[in-house]
Amino acid sequence: MAVPVADALSPALPAGDIAEAGRFSRARGAMGTLEITIPAAVLLVLLFFCFVWPIVYPVPKPTGGSILNSGLPMWSPGHIFGTDTVGNDIMSRILYGGRVSFEVAVAVQVIGLVVGGLLGVIAGYSGGPVEAVLMRVLDVFIAFPSLVLVLAIVDSLGQSEINVIWALAAFSIPAFARVARAATLRLRDQPFVVAARLSSAKTWRILFGHIVPNMMPQLVTFSLLGAGVTIILEGALDFLGYGIPDPAPSWGKEIAVGQTMLSIRPSLVIVPSIFLFVTVVCLNLMGDGLRSRWGVR
Amino acid sequence: MTPNPVTEAGAAATHSGAALLEVRHLVQEFVLRDYGGVKGGVLQAVSDVSFELDAGETLGIVGETGSGKSTLARSVIQAPPPKRGSVIFQGKDLVGLGRRAMTSVRRDLQMVFQDPFRSLDPKWTVSRIVAEPLIAQGVGSRSERRERVNSLLDRVGLDPVGYGKRHPRELSGGQAQRVAIARALVLEPKLIICDEPVSSLDVLVQAQVLNLFEKLRSELSLSYLFIAHDLALVKQVSDRVAVMYLGKLCEVGPVRAIYRQPLHPYTLALLTSIPSPARSAGKRGTSSVISGELPSPLDPPSGCRFRTRCPRAQERCAAEAPELRSLGGEGHLVACHFPLSDGSRTSAEPAAVRR
Amino acid sequence: MTGPLGQRVRQLAATSAGASSAARDESAPAGSNPGASPLLEVSDLRVRFRSRGSVVNAVQGVSFTVEPGQTLAIIGESGSGKTVSAYAIMGLLPRTAHVSGSIRFRGVQLVGRSEKELQDHRGRNAAMVFQDPERSLNPTMRIGTQIAEAIRCHLPLDRKEANERAVELLRLVRLPTPERRFYEYPHQLSGGMRQRVVIAIALACEPRLLIADEATTALDVTTQAQIMDLLLDLQQELGTALMMISHDLALAASYAEEVIVMYAGRIVERAAAEDLFGNVRMPYTRALLNAIPRIELEPHVLLPVIGGRPPDLSTVVPGCSFAPRCPDAQQDCRQEIPPLEEQEIGHWWACWHPCEGGQGGQKEAAP
Repeated sequence: MAVPVADALSPALPAGDIAEAGRFSRARGAMGTLEITIPAAVLLVLLFFCFVWPIVYPVPKPTGGSILNSGLPMWSPGHIFGTDTVGNDIMSRILYGGRVSFEVAVAVQVIGLVVGGLLGVIAGYSGGPVEAVLMRVLDVFIAFPSLVLVLAIVDSLGQSEINVIWALAAFSIPAFARVARAATLRLRDQPFVVAARLSSAKTWRILFGHIVPNMMPQLVTFSLLGAGVTIILEGALDFLGYGIPDPAPSWGKEIAVGQTMLSIRPSLVIVPSIFLFVTVVCLNLMGDGLRSRWGVR
Repeated sequence: MTPNPVTEAGAAATHSGAALLEVRHLVQEFVLRDYGGVKGGVLQAVSDVSFELDAGETLGIVGETGSGKSTLARSVIQAPPPKRGSVIFQGKDLVGLGRRAMTSVRRDLQMVFQDPFRSLDPKWTVSRIVAEPLIAQGVGSRSERRERVNSLLDRVGLDPVGYGKRHPRELSGGQAQRVAIARALVLEPKLIICDEPVSSLDVLVQAQVLNLFEKLRSELSLSYLFIAHDLALVKQVSDRVAVMYLGKLCEVGPVRAIYRQPLHPYTLALLTSIPSPARSAGKRGTSSVISGELPSPLDPPSGCRFRTRCPRAQERCAAEAPELRSLGGEGHLVACHFPLSDGSRTSAEPAAVRR
Repeated sequence: MTGPLGQRVRQLAATSAGASSAARDESAPAGSNPGASPLLEVSDLRVRFRSRGSVVNAVQGVSFTVEPGQTLAIIGESGSGKTVSAYAIMGLLPRTAHVSGSIRFRGVQLVGRSEKELQDHRGRNAAMVFQDPERSLNPTMRIGTQIAEAIRCHLPLDRKEANERAVELLRLVRLPTPERRFYEYPHQLSGGMRQRVVIAIALACEPRLLIADEATTALDVTTQAQIMDLLLDLQQELGTALMMISHDLALAASYAEEVIVMYAGRIVERAAAEDLFGNVRMPYTRALLNAIPRIELEPHVLLPVIGGRPPDLSTVVPGCSFAPRCPDAQQDCRQEIPPLEEQEIGHWWACWHPCEGGQGGQKEAAP
């Protein structure tokens, strides 16, 4: 015996639940959107500089620098962030390194979303032995501490950007599968899905017409937050020396190399760290903002 | 349970001609799992329910929490299928029916749910929602489907041009329910199961939607299985009414008979618990005829399930479960050892609660 | 204040909380003298909410009084402002709500009070019972503890005394074997029993006013009858005023002495229950009455309905808010808002062209 649902007063208030005091305090307005647009803008700027700028503007190459150029401090002419010990322009190493971070992050999330999401949806909707088997297999992967698992995979496959991606995907696929399965379980018994079954809609239609679209908000926010984690993990891999091979730059590597000169030239560590930090924070803010905006659990 | 000849005879006596829907000895159970998946108990939500529904008729099913009425509705449409018993729709038993056969059955049997906002996919537009059954069944070309959708939206009182492209969140409760009704009608079903379709709507909107149900019924010769907890509402729309308590049928009969001469003490208790402006003008409160609490469905009382709250309960009620039998006129069945025999509303003695 | 259980509850309170009870009584005129001054006086209450850029006028100038020990029902559909008004009286509105007007509880102004002062007011002076007993109770806490917690919020009793009083309260709300129930968790109780516990918590500190916000909507009709009977009996015993908020007119008619009908944030009709239902004036009230399915009616009869929906509260429309849907609306209805006035003794309405009275003719605009 439910409370009568209001004939909606206005789009401003959600139809029906006017009696709930909690809803009133969701005064969104401009503030909520800023939470999403500012980090998004910052990320876009970063992406632009990492991917587009070097094509348009003659940025010095990140590798093959002359030793005569080495050790230049910050704000030197032609080298905004200075150069490193072997003469490479730090700014361009940051930009090209950023490419790696973003590429890995996007690839890992996409693989996780597609493969993990699919597995999770199938597991959740089928139930029974299919679900049990799938989830147990994935549980094995989840049980490993992420870094250990990733290290093991890279070690056995060899160092390269692609292998780093595969290694990190091994971690992200089960995570997505879990989320997708939980969402599927929740959606599967919703009346609108039951109604679709009542019209004898085919299973794949139900899965891709009803179930998947309704879990997209959840998956999108999960992937944004996951991207942040991926970037950090990738950075950790590089820091440990298991990531992308030399001489290609990446944020983690810069931090690793700069670490040895921390007392002399802290900027070698600080600059890439700031980039890493800002990127991950923006991803997290966006993920959180979208999550509260879309009311995702 | 072996079919009881008295019951069968009683049931058969109420109908002439083949019934549209025949439910026989329906049982639905849920296994409750404790932590760790251990089987904690079996909940029998529907226990041996049998009834019939003729073409063009509306059968109202009334019950309170735990009565099993919603579970009954779901069992009829096989979502999920009942544990035992048969559901014979247009001559075919739906229980255990193969997928292909079920698909064609579903053209004639549809359902409208309680919460319109949860029975419509929030990401779909109204037109797409109403068209879904047509697409799923492969009926008609795209333009034919569009025409049909538009004509149905019109029929339920929604302007197709204005509403076709909207999403459910842009609709009011009443409008959303109309969309759900349009979707249920699109395959031209014979029987629609309505599971508390107006309970979540405001009073004025509720009346609008009820009128729509009535209108559609006469225009399209529909039959309804109408489930509700509100007795007055059920009376509004039904030809016959069935009263359920804790998974069993207490009383079934023509609507006027049930309301004028209730035979089962629970029916009487329900009727007298209803507050009504006309009835109690000047008098405050109601004398509630019923006392005690609803027993746990996991462990229902032995014999008659209502006996722990029944003012008329005797020893026989604990020993023997009463069968549904014909009493008091054409098609009026009651499951009680000591039914209210005369027509007048007896004032109840204080409830003697025995366990 | 006369029933034996009520006396016992008061005894427990008096012995251990003499000071605070006395202090509370001081600020008020003699409670045993009804009609001396109203318990609650709401005057031109207005509540606005800011929501995503638009302003929603949830309550637009509501005024009414509640006498000590009275049973008042506020009826309205969703969006009528009835719940918001109740929340305002309880001081439960969030910071984003802009409240103006006056709410006087025993002469003390509530609008503009600080949260601390409102906390003192809540539970002591006025208590609220909400719709869903499941959400009102903490599932991880024993029910006895929850009641005792409420008691110790306002009364300086030690744990043992509070527990004793909790058991007394459980007995008061007719929960069988209260000593045992004390130790149970909410999930072990049925819906009706949980609602009784919620009522016990609400009554823990002897509020003068009990607000029941759709308190029985989620309950079965048989349980509803039991709970309503309980509330009325408790009223008699403790002398509490009861304010029922509901969408269910029939319930209001059966249990309330006086009924207020709200629409789109305003009061449109107010009368004693018999008067309202026997002599309905406001077309909206009549439409509500007509729309309820009634046992007395024959089946398959089309209910007389009016079309349309309640207005959008974020826009200000001239004239009577009901005019767009009213079958009796005339020119002046759309131009000027009719004031709420006492047109007959004890019967207020806000309408330029009220109905003739009686049970309400069956007027029907296009459904």
